[in-house]
Amino acid sequence: MKLNYMKGRFKLGLLLSFILLLLTGCWSSKEIEDLGLIVGTSLDLETDTNSREESEEQEARNSNKELITITNQFVTSETTGSGPKEGKKQQAYKNVSETGDAVLPTLRNMILKNDKRAFAEHSKVIVIGEDFASTFNLKQTMDFFLRELEMRPSALLLIAKNHASNILESNEPSKIPAFQLVEMMKGHKKTTKIIPPMTFAKLEGKLYSEASFLLQSVVSENDEIKFVGAAVIEGKTKKLRGFLTGKELEGITWITGKGKGGLVTSFYEETDQPIIYEIISTKSKIIPHVDGENISFNVKIESEGRIAEHWVLSEKTFDNKFLKKAEKATEKEVERLVKNVLDKIQHEYQTDVSGFGTRLRIEYPKVWEKVKKDWDQIFSGVPIQCEVNITIKDYGTSGE
Amino acid sequence: MWGKILSYIPEWKVFMQGFIVFFIPYIIFKLFNGIVSKQKTHEDEMKEINDQTNQKVELEHQKSSQGSYDHYTGDFNLDVELVKNEIGHNWDVHVREFHIGNTDIRAAIIFLDGLSDKELIDKHILASLMGNVLKKDEQESIYEKGVFLQTFIKNEVLSVSDITEEYDVKQSVGKILLGATALIIDGIPNVLMLGTVKGKSRNFEEPVSEALVRGPRLGFTETLSDNTALLRQHGENSDLSIINFQVGKRTKKELVIAYIQEIADPNLIEEVKKRIQSITIDDVAESGYVEQLIEDNYLSPFTQVQNTERPDRVFAALMEGRVAILLDGTPFALIVPVTFSMLLQSPEDYYERWLPSTLIRLLRYLAAAITLFAPSLYISFVSFHQGLIPTKLALSMMGTREGVPFPAIIEALIMEVAIEILREAGLRLPKPIGPTMGIVGGLVIGEAAVQAGIVSPIMVIVVALTAISSFAIPQYNAGISLRMLRFVAMFFAALFGLYGVILFFLLLCSHLVKLKSFGIPYVSPTVPYRASDWKDFMVRMPLMMMKRRPKMLHTKDSSRQD
Repeated sequence: MKLNYMKGRFKLGLLLSFILLLLTGCWSSKEIEDLGLIVGTSLDLETDTNSREESEEQEARNSNKELITITNQFVTSETTGSGPKEGKKQQAYKNVSETGDAVLPTLRNMILKNDKRAFAEHSKVIVIGEDFASTFNLKQTMDFFLRELEMRPSALLLIAKNHASNILESNEPSKIPAFQLVEMMKGHKKTTKIIPPMTFAKLEGKLYSEASFLLQSVVSENDEIKFVGAAVIEGKTKKLRGFLTGKELEGITWITGKGKGGLVTSFYEETDQPIIYEIISTKSKIIPHVDGENISFNVKIESEGRIAEHWVLSEKTFDNKFLKKAEKATEKEVERLVKNVLDKIQHEYQTDVSGFGTRLRIEYPKVWEKVKKDWDQIFSGVPIQCEVNITIKDYGTSGE
Repeated sequence: MWGKILSYIPEWKVFMQGFIVFFIPYIIFKLFNGIVSKQKTHEDEMKEINDQTNQKVELEHQKSSQGSYDHYTGDFNLDVELVKNEIGHNWDVHVREFHIGNTDIRAAIIFLDGLSDKELIDKHILASLMGNVLKKDEQESIYEKGVFLQTFIKNEVLSVSDITEEYDVKQSVGKILLGATALIIDGIPNVLMLGTVKGKSRNFEEPVSEALVRGPRLGFTETLSDNTALLRQHGENSDLSIINFQVGKRTKKELVIAYIQEIADPNLIEEVKKRIQSITIDDVAESGYVEQLIEDNYLSPFTQVQNTERPDRVFAALMEGRVAILLDGTPFALIVPVTFSMLLQSPEDYYERWLPSTLIRLLRYLAAAITLFAPSLYISFVSFHQGLIPTKLALSMMGTREGVPFPAIIEALIMEVAIEILREAGLRLPKPIGPTMGIVGGLVIGEAAVQAGIVSPIMVIVVALTAISSFAIPQYNAGISLRMLRFVAMFFAALFGLYGVILFFLLLCSHLVKLKSFGIPYVSPTVPYRASDWKDFMVRMPLMMMKRRPKMLHTKDSSRQD
């Protein structure tokens, strides 16, 4: 009797625990092939009036307000497929655009035209259009992406010249533009024309401090994606102030000393033939000087490198005199680059994007307290001395 | 005021949740309490029954010793009849009557065909008894003195080394059934039991289940005396104690426990003895019976007694202070107590140099982890945490899973069950067909299932990896328990993703920590933590550094070398 009773209880218990497991189901389970991985996102300001009328919801109210267009680059199981099939080449990605007046509703509206469940954990890059960046406060518009659970802090932020959605198009259907951008960004170790990648992790800090900063800018020319210079974001308004060209960006890289590699092309004084200097390492020091009310800066740039290429046939390459002259020529060129960009950011954009304020804050905190409110303004009038010291320690060319 | 109070009273839903949160753990607790108490009451009942039977046996024994019916009488016809009554109906029992040489003294030998050595019987027993035993003049006097005749035959006639006198019919019959020969002589009130046992045994071969690249090519056989001899042969060691027991109520079998007197913990030996004496089953067919009857926790998926066919492994365990149990009739010796790390070790670890051994050992731990977790991790990544897969891998996984109609758990179950069936089928098939079938089956099922779009190629890789890893575990039964748990892990993964896998791991850990094998914590030296024992755990340190025996075994003499 007792044994039977125990057996019954045992069975009941087993049943209950199974039910407990089964009742929970496979909650939040979603199969990987049902997902649409968002690998890239672009944000644009909507200017086309036709499409504005198309979105019915907005028609009633705010018909004058700027709308935003979000394009998501999806990679799904269908686009990756099982390799390129014979005959036709399949596009490796699928771009879906939607227009609305705020970020989240627009994204949600994409559900209406997409069969795959959007999944942003593999999001690599966010491209912001020129118009969008100069119209909206970045802190406000990026907040959604920064706080979104599925977004990774490793995602990159880029500014597109012209239309951002063009960046996510590619003429090679097998390539995924978002991945291309990420891979291209790795080139910053080999050239001074690309700034170190601005990930979301870094962006948050920049947005919440009042400092101005640079973002890599990218342009799509003839269906070809290309990095061109940088975009200047003003610290106060968090809006796009303007662009720096590639040459100007080089100057910034020299000031910050972040260049890990890259070239400087200078011309030999006597013959006007090019000498190409390749950076092995750079070091820069910004030294602030405070004299009463007057603030001034000294920028000391030191670099070691090699002559990678030179067209000066008349000179012996391994001659110390020639090397000295080459160093001089390179120094002059770097100085020119730095001066050039300082002129632009001080006088045209009036924004401090190369860390002068940071040095002042560290070395003269009391002075900084006074000036930090309108630092960008004060920065535009500050005298900056530049001192460049180039050492050629390696022969990269043949010679005697 | 009512309204205010009411607003503080939670909704029905909250009460319901509270009810569930309390009662489900309570039910689980009760459930397991129930199982344990059931086990206990069962044991108690068994004990009572045992006591009763013991008393009965004693009573019977007393009775039988009072009555003299079962003893040999000295009357030849009666004595032969007594034996025949006991076992005469058996086909293989032979009774050969004859006269002792040159006299008319009647005698008979009774032996079992097959088990006894016929050559010995013919040449040394019958020949010497039927030949010219007595000279004519001595006949008369000796014939009268029955006892003298017996000693005379024992001392001067029979050239057999093993001779005992037996008075009790039951006992002599028992010996006959094991292969001894009984000699009944007219006028003598006992029988002579001649040791003519010639058991069937096979040659020593390399154990199939535990092949090594380096190490003795020697395995136990089915004969207990051979096996103990193998242990003795290992080297001169007067401390090696081999204590004998009889197990099986109806079919009595010899069982010995072996240990090194000067090393093994006396408490451990007592415990082993106690547990072996508690075996009351009618027949112990194989050492697996012993293993299951003396293990600590029969609900645990882990094997708590190690079995091995290798004498060197047994001896190494003895030198660590463990106890070996050998049963007659099986080549599998048991080693207790067992810790988890032993299941992932091979004798070769000690024969090879320490660096390769250490790396191989680490590899085995990795293989064990893969066996246990690979499919469940695959399931949780594919169904729950796609963000944790590197982007490019996620893309290719997406591509390969395109068109697979099942969720990952079903896909994994199909393949895992298929591979288990293949393994089981390959095991039972005749040797020449086995591997072929395995390869063909594996290839066909793997390839065709992918072609048909039932499973994804990555799943096939995961399953193959898991199967191979499970065979990298040196102990076959440890591999089985991990393979078994793998399915549980898969269900956990399917229900809760990685969270579930971690839950499962915690569950497993809490079970392992509680589990003991003959008083030794199963996962020692991890828990309880003994740093000195880690020298021979996941890594094997050089022999020079392993100067002490494992502390967890509480050995009498802890030093291995100076």
